[in-house]
Amino acid sequence: MSIAPRERSLLLGGISLSALWGLSYSLSVLSPGLLHHHCLFGLDATWPDRSVCELAFGGLWVSLTIGVAAGLLATVVGATIAVLARRAGSVVESGMLRLCDAFFALPDVLVLMVLQLAAQNLQDVYPAFKVAPMILMIISLSLVGWAAPARMIRNRIATVEEEDFVRAARALGAGWTHVLVAHVWPVLRAYVAAIFLSRVPAAILAESTVSFLGIARVEPMSLGRYLGASFGNLLYPGGARMVLPAWFLLVAIVFITWTTSRRVLARAE
Amino acid sequence: MIGLVFQRSARRLAFVPIVALASYYLMATLPLTGETESKRRLSSELLASYHRDLGLGEPWGFARPWIKLFRGERLGTASRGVTGSEMLKKLSGSLGVGAVALAFALLWTTLMSFVVVAFNRARASVPLDLVAAVALGTPVFVSALLLAPFAAERGHFIPELAAALVLSLWPGALLALLVNDSVRMEMRRDYVRTAQSKGLSYWQTWAKHVLPNVLPALLDSVVPLATALLAGSFAAERVLGLPYFGQLYVLAVLHRQVAVVVIATTLFAMILAFVSVSAEMLRLIADPRARERSSA
Repeated sequence: MSIAPRERSLLLGGISLSALWGLSYSLSVLSPGLLHHHCLFGLDATWPDRSVCELAFGGLWVSLTIGVAAGLLATVVGATIAVLARRAGSVVESGMLRLCDAFFALPDVLVLMVLQLAAQNLQDVYPAFKVAPMILMIISLSLVGWAAPARMIRNRIATVEEEDFVRAARALGAGWTHVLVAHVWPVLRAYVAAIFLSRVPAAILAESTVSFLGIARVEPMSLGRYLGASFGNLLYPGGARMVLPAWFLLVAIVFITWTTSRRVLARAE
Repeated sequence: MIGLVFQRSARRLAFVPIVALASYYLMATLPLTGETESKRRLSSELLASYHRDLGLGEPWGFARPWIKLFRGERLGTASRGVTGSEMLKKLSGSLGVGAVALAFALLWTTLMSFVVVAFNRARASVPLDLVAAVALGTPVFVSALLLAPFAAERGHFIPELAAALVLSLWPGALLALLVNDSVRMEMRRDYVRTAQSKGLSYWQTWAKHVLPNVLPALLDSVVPLATALLAGSFAAERVLGLPYFGQLYVLAVLHRQVAVVVIATTLFAMILAFVSVSAEMLRLIADPRARERSSA
């Protein structure tokens, strides 16, 4: 059985990322001693009881989890809003589009910083609202990232609704929900999957930047947070060994997710 | 056409007061605490500046940070606050770095476009796409970390140049991909083949026929580029130790200088709105099809 090129790209990207995630999680959580005793890069200067491999490789599954979860949540929220807005039509739909434009008015990283500031203060004063830092980051990234999927999915739904097969279904008396589920969704799902994949590297980049700047303190430590805490070592001899592994891993996962999403999106359009 | 330009500009500029009010009310409702039991106990000076700078409880409280700014008063605490003139100086520094970064981005785009046109083969674009993919997939602070040991605190505008170089990677890669795709598409069109068959060289064809058709797509990418430059400035200035607007914003968030956060967020929105309106106007000037659509 031959695999279509789009599915092949998705499969390759998915397998690479899953393998990296699984390896990172199993080594850092299930058997951390392995990374500690067999690390070529030695111990970390800021956390002398832990090796560079534990911190760098251990941060990989955290960054990937945040990226995938935030991408998925942003896509689901965006798709839901797009469908509801399209169903309501006229004022509601154009209001949604204006709201999306408002979200595009500022960089993601900036809005994320402000949301983290607000959320951290809220949790300090009202402990009942306390959530795990990783969950807080995923929610913040989704609040920032829903606008692009909403806009893109809404535009695609509007295009598909102009197709002859949809018009024929409507002429035969199909309701809006039936048209969406039976006719529009099969055409749309590959596109939605591609959008989800495109949100993953964006989420990883935004989280790593905000963690690097020290505004978010994701626990367990993500790659961005580790780089933020250790980059000062670059100024000292031999400091590069503490920064290079996390650096390389971050670029690798963003590169894999970005190229996969680009290939799948190009084939879905 | 003027009516359409005015309508679109008004729509873009309308976001600025919305962002100003949204950021003000978000900061004003923050439950900043001074209780000793709180893990993030804030100083009495910071709390006083919070109440003073945001005009809490006043009917026109949202205008208070702006009034203070225009009066030349300090926003925030004595040690970490900032005045209007300081803010403008830092903003001009960031804009200067951004302008140089844009020039670098256009340079990378021109170089890559040159290679695509000169070779005119699909295979030449594969390694270029790979380079662009690596550039797009690399966070700004990672590139900045590469240059930090050589550029940080060197003076003679070396950190500024390094920041501009680092900031130009993502926009340059994006522009290069866009231009390569557009150039390749245009080079396959009939009018280009006609021009070449009539004896025009690659460069004459590129300059007279291809570039005017690629320009509208380039102008459409101006706003995402400006957003990327602004977003990248936070990390680049922090790593390279540049005391400009990006670093100001990050430190304001870290040290809870909320009035500074409100003003800075609104200034960012203003800059992006201005860039968007300018790009829209340039598009109408440069693209006759856009003028026709607008007058239809």
